[in-house]
Amino acid sequence: MRNKFTILALMAFFQITGTLAQQLEVSGTVTVATDGMTLPGVNVIVKGTSNGTVTNMEGYYSIEVDQDAVLIFSSLGFESQEQSVDGRDVIDVIMTEDLEGLDEVVVTALGISRDRKSLGYATQEVEGENFTLTNEQNVLGSLSGRVAGVQVTGASGSSMGGTQKIKIRGINSLSGGGEPLLVIDGTPISNANFAESSGADYGNLGQDINPNDIESVNVLKGPTASALYGIRGQYGVIMITTKDGAKGVEDTRVQLSSSVSIEVAGNFMPVQNMYGAGSSQSFNTLPNGDPYVAVGVDESWGPRMDGTPVRHAWSFYPQDPGYGELAPFSPHPDNIKNFYETGHNINNNISISGGSENTSYRLSVNDTRIEGVEPNTYLKRNNIGLNTSLDINDKITVNSNINYARNDAQRPQQGSEYGTGYFVQWFQRNIDMNKLENYQYPDGTFQHWNLRSPSSTTGEITDLSPLYWNNPYFEAYENTNNDRRDRFFGNIGVTYEVLPELELSANVRSDMYTQNIETRRGFGGTGIPGYTVGKYQNKEMNYELLAQYNKEFGDFSINGTLGGNIFDRRYSYVYQETEGGLTTPGFYNIEASIDRPTTESYLLRKQIRSGFAMASLGYLDTYFVEASIRNDNSSTLPEENNSYWYPSISGSMVFSEFTNWELLSFGKLRASYAQAGSDLSPYQTSNFYNVGTVYNNINTLTVPNSLPNPNILPAFAHSYEVGVDLRFFSNRLGLDVTYYEQRNIDQIIDLDISGATGYSSRILNAGEITNNGVELSLTGTPVKTDNFRWDATLNLNRNRSEVVELHPDIDVYQYGSTTYSSVNSYLNSYEGEPFGSLVGQAYQRDEATGQILLDANNMPLYTDATHNFGSVLPDLTGGFQNNIQFGNFNLAAMIDFQKGGQFFSRSKMLAVRTGQDPLTVATNSNGANVRDPLEEGGGVEVNGISAETGEEVNAFVDARSYYRNVVGRRIYEEWLYDASYIKLREVRLGYTFGSNIMERLPFEAVNLAFIARNPAMLWQNAPDGIDPSEISTGSQDISWYESGQLISVRSYGLNLNITF
Amino acid sequence: MKRFYIILFSSLFILSCNKFDDEINTNPNLPSEASGTQLIASAQLSLPGLSSSPKGAFMAQYLAETQYVGQSLYPQESTSFYSLYQSPLINLQTVIDSEDLNGNDGPVANQKAVAKILKAYFFWNITDRWGDVPYFDALQGGDNYTPVYDSQEEIYNDLFEELKEAGDMIVSGNINNDIVYGGDMSKWEKLANTVRMLMALRLSEVDPQKGSAEFNAAISAGVFESNSDNLVYQHLADANNQNYWFDQVVNQNREWWALTETLVEEMKPVNDPRLAVYGDPTRSTGEYIGLEFGVEEVTGTETEEFSLLGSDIYEQDAPVYLVTYAQVLFAMAEATERGWITGDVEEYYNMAIEVSIEQWTGTTEGVEDFLDNPEIAFDANNAIESISNQRWVHLYMFGYEAWSEWRRTGYPNDLVEPNGMAVPTRLSYPDNEAFNNEDNYYEAIERQFGGEDSIYGKVWWDQ
Repeated sequence: MRNKFTILALMAFFQITGTLAQQLEVSGTVTVATDGMTLPGVNVIVKGTSNGTVTNMEGYYSIEVDQDAVLIFSSLGFESQEQSVDGRDVIDVIMTEDLEGLDEVVVTALGISRDRKSLGYATQEVEGENFTLTNEQNVLGSLSGRVAGVQVTGASGSSMGGTQKIKIRGINSLSGGGEPLLVIDGTPISNANFAESSGADYGNLGQDINPNDIESVNVLKGPTASALYGIRGQYGVIMITTKDGAKGVEDTRVQLSSSVSIEVAGNFMPVQNMYGAGSSQSFNTLPNGDPYVAVGVDESWGPRMDGTPVRHAWSFYPQDPGYGELAPFSPHPDNIKNFYETGHNINNNISISGGSENTSYRLSVNDTRIEGVEPNTYLKRNNIGLNTSLDINDKITVNSNINYARNDAQRPQQGSEYGTGYFVQWFQRNIDMNKLENYQYPDGTFQHWNLRSPSSTTGEITDLSPLYWNNPYFEAYENTNNDRRDRFFGNIGVTYEVLPELELSANVRSDMYTQNIETRRGFGGTGIPGYTVGKYQNKEMNYELLAQYNKEFGDFSINGTLGGNIFDRRYSYVYQETEGGLTTPGFYNIEASIDRPTTESYLLRKQIRSGFAMASLGYLDTYFVEASIRNDNSSTLPEENNSYWYPSISGSMVFSEFTNWELLSFGKLRASYAQAGSDLSPYQTSNFYNVGTVYNNINTLTVPNSLPNPNILPAFAHSYEVGVDLRFFSNRLGLDVTYYEQRNIDQIIDLDISGATGYSSRILNAGEITNNGVELSLTGTPVKTDNFRWDATLNLNRNRSEVVELHPDIDVYQYGSTTYSSVNSYLNSYEGEPFGSLVGQAYQRDEATGQILLDANNMPLYTDATHNFGSVLPDLTGGFQNNIQFGNFNLAAMIDFQKGGQFFSRSKMLAVRTGQDPLTVATNSNGANVRDPLEEGGGVEVNGISAETGEEVNAFVDARSYYRNVVGRRIYEEWLYDASYIKLREVRLGYTFGSNIMERLPFEAVNLAFIARNPAMLWQNAPDGIDPSEISTGSQDISWYESGQLISVRSYGLNLNITF
Repeated sequence: MKRFYIILFSSLFILSCNKFDDEINTNPNLPSEASGTQLIASAQLSLPGLSSSPKGAFMAQYLAETQYVGQSLYPQESTSFYSLYQSPLINLQTVIDSEDLNGNDGPVANQKAVAKILKAYFFWNITDRWGDVPYFDALQGGDNYTPVYDSQEEIYNDLFEELKEAGDMIVSGNINNDIVYGGDMSKWEKLANTVRMLMALRLSEVDPQKGSAEFNAAISAGVFESNSDNLVYQHLADANNQNYWFDQVVNQNREWWALTETLVEEMKPVNDPRLAVYGDPTRSTGEYIGLEFGVEEVTGTETEEFSLLGSDIYEQDAPVYLVTYAQVLFAMAEATERGWITGDVEEYYNMAIEVSIEQWTGTTEGVEDFLDNPEIAFDANNAIESISNQRWVHLYMFGYEAWSEWRRTGYPNDLVEPNGMAVPTRLSYPDNEAFNNEDNYYEAIERQFGGEDSIYGKVWWDQ
């Protein structure tokens, strides 16, 4: 796109003018449909003549034409448009982008611009406007559904910029990792993540990119497209090109984009409102006979909430105005909902761009302020970006691209025993949230809901500190997580045109950040007060030399690249944590640690030196072939194995050049093969010991759990792909289909081994994992009239994975495990099966009938945690993108979907176990509530076969025992859900003001839009209250269980774009 | 131009040279060498974990759950032994295999002897809980990913040898950095013999001949002679070295454990002086009241109504008793009764109780009165029962050990069966052994328990 602008700017020089009789002066402004920005360099030609003009930098044109002339507006990358003058003197035109421009130039690996039709592999581009449609907190989330084969799994909006995981073409790494490399204007940047699977989700670092700076994003899928990035590109590359100024004409453009949206919590899990806190249906009483709420019980198996006057938790606080008072024991159906606040997201961006004959620049400043739906959470982000380019002379150009990003956030904790994740898990249905809101009394003490039981002699609670759970407001205001990050990334480079066909360039690229994370556990809550502080610093440098050669010889075109790169990373951190409590209330500092604090200091260094060459040959602009080779030398591998080579080859043929089928406007066939090699993290090839606890003055060292391997080899990914790119009906319909296969061999993994070996895992070259699949991208313009146009893109990906081979002795790879109440579940990969099977406890079933086996008490029997429930990965993912242009209105809607995949929901399981789920108050076939005594017809109906007698059993069992100790605790089969969904992710309805209004305003263009993000889940198979598209387990690479999911956020707002 | 290309090519190849600075892949964050005694000390940190476990306390029915009753209902669930192999055992094995131990930390032979004794002690605990476990092939890291499960009988036989060998290799000279015995090798030697003696008694039902022989050999090699010989892990009043129960009860507010009715009924009627240490009087009345074990429907769950886990037990720096002199005396009493050795059963029995009370209360005051209780006084007609019941009281909080003695002797014979579920007779293997060590795992459960990894399978000595 940057090249596009250069071309446009050059075209602005050509002022094609002419005069004719009976003429009228027509003028107007040309803008872009999607964002309302003015468009310079548009050719405006009078139909049937050679007369014409070009829009200026403000998108303005004026031309003298006949009253009945027809004007043709055309510009590279946009659909041409005809307008009859019909005597009008103002004709404003809104240009729609040509979604799949034929002569599109795409930016490929290393920032090399290539003609799209010459590529022998699939790439897919997303225009920059798509990243600012509705101001996603984490910019990478906007990729969801927009590119076939790219799956984005994200955290809820209440996470404040939480993790967005990106997978291209399935899981290519046994360890589940394998995230694509992020490259911004040729500079690889870190997408690291400081979050863990629970606690605050700090999100991935890719969110430091300012979405307003994005010109376009091009996704290179698989190693084919990215062999030139070596190791780090083996899982694909997300290439981001930022906006730039334009050389050639003295001009300055100022753009302002502002949006304000409100954020509201949505998608609450249904809960029952009949029974309150307790473990039996009768109240305990104080010595004076007053009944009281079972304050020590964090479950809702208690008495019916029938309004009986009782002593509530707050009534035991002498400092509470309601001390000693009775109040009705009644339901608070919205108690969870009441906790959440209305948040907001305010985003302002201003950019100044321009240039002169031999310079160009663009400066952009962004300020984002988000206040979350969880009380006392926020994210403030600032970005400054400066792109400059200077032609020193005809031969030498110097350019720089410098970005600064600053984040300052206070984020909520997620996960089952963190923050407010306990609401549906361990809670009392009778709690009045409004009562808890004033969580601190004037004397500084705190109000909690979960307390020790009152004394049966005095009727008082002497220890009013919380038992197991804090008041949620205490969590929000006293147990805070703060993180701050300052980051610089970008490059400085020089290009030297040695010959017209040979260009040399040298670049220094850098990405450096300092991340600070601070957590507090306040005085007056559960556990002991504490404080942790960590400072993490990363510096990644890339020194790059590149020679590019382009030449045409008759029917042949040659394109060659030779390059070298040194990657150098230095990462260090210091982390400290207090032990045994803090000495002084309110003093959060390591100095305040009562016992010897935990301290860690860490340094990591890594270097990769690479050389590579690539050549492509074109014939008749119809046949293309390209080959590359790369050599990497990694410092992390053993010296005898640390240098390795890998090639790629691809070819394409534009067969529409020699076929004569009219309907087909373009047709291309492509095929490719590529390899990519990979290494491992540092320090995994030699033995070391871990430092253990110090006992008095006795120091301990311990053998680590992961066994290093001095003989590790580099791993290789082999990828094959064939595809076809077809356009019909003058490009009104486009179809791009790719079949791909990727084999990852000698994968370096930390393979779990039997603990009886003395270790938990070993670094190994193990196995082979294959992925194959089909990607389909269908683009079209189903409706197109003079002032109505509907463009749509449908992306689909079907991926199948198989773990072909692991290790001669071990045929299961344990990716993850989670244990709750001594019950384990695992995410395993078995040889010969798809990646990522969920494994856990199932019902024991009668072999003949499939009926559930029951024990002597008629409770279901269950298996060990070895039952394989099948893969968690989806069968089909995709997105459906729509753009409707109607007069000056533009409507964009993004839908994404997934079919298949599954997850285990601990929230649902616990909601049932603790008596909060509506299931626990259901009416049974006797017409009685399941909680009623068995002798009164209550109980849960159980059907099955007695394991002892073999007889069929139909019986009623006590609901609390059934849900609490058996089904809601041990039988995971019951809590598995299909992850399929269809979600409306983004909607934007914009209006571009016409020039008749603009003339009276000091602006060039104004676009006002209503925006909605995440407004609705259109369909899902999983129960209400669990969003399968947001099952985030922090930084875990694969989401396979849900626990304490943050509440979903729906956001609605206005966006205003102004160009001066 | 040609020269230019040559320069370009060569500069690229210089870039991609594979020689790196030696330092770059050397881990600066962790030491690459460890002394034998640092590894031994690290293994010692795992000692209290052998005892401090709610599950163990439920197996022996010392403690009942006050809230979230579940674990004490004896669910069929897997229990992992991995951490025992991965933490203490691999460290000890590294010392045993090491060829470059440093004599400055104490005689090399003594370092190895201590490592062997501790390794044997950990393995003894493991096999008693699970039955056949990986032993000979275990702890070999990358040399054997799938260690075979060895029979408990073979493991016992080898442990006897190992303990004997360890005792024999001790030379004069203390070792450094020793948490439990301050490097005193005479105590380690006694520990080796004492463990051997207690293991020998375990064979009373399955192979009394072998048991008797080993028992006698251990005694002549020299066993504990007083409470000061005990293997005790002393916690410290510091968060990094604190008692498991302190974290549970004090830091996490978990008043989840009350003394069982069975235990209180055994101790309260006879005014057992240890009761004041074992549990706290109820907050409501100041009486000692036990909670019935394994009752799911605890109506009030009012913890103030019951005697909760004693504050001495959950103190931050409480000691954890692992191998004790009183056990030696109970064993002598039982062995005398069984005719393995000669002596006075009653005298051993009385001494055992006296030593136990001294261990728990710090004094022997009132022991005479206590022994005068008709329920406590030695009953020669039910010698094994008397000994076993009092040993059960003595072994308080080391539930797993008491449970082993229950499995062997059947005493105390009044343990409760919650929801009709009998007390288990072993622990289930870690469920991930079914993935990580599949063939050997299935072979082991087939061989021992007819294919089911049940908590009701019986280990070799419990036949």
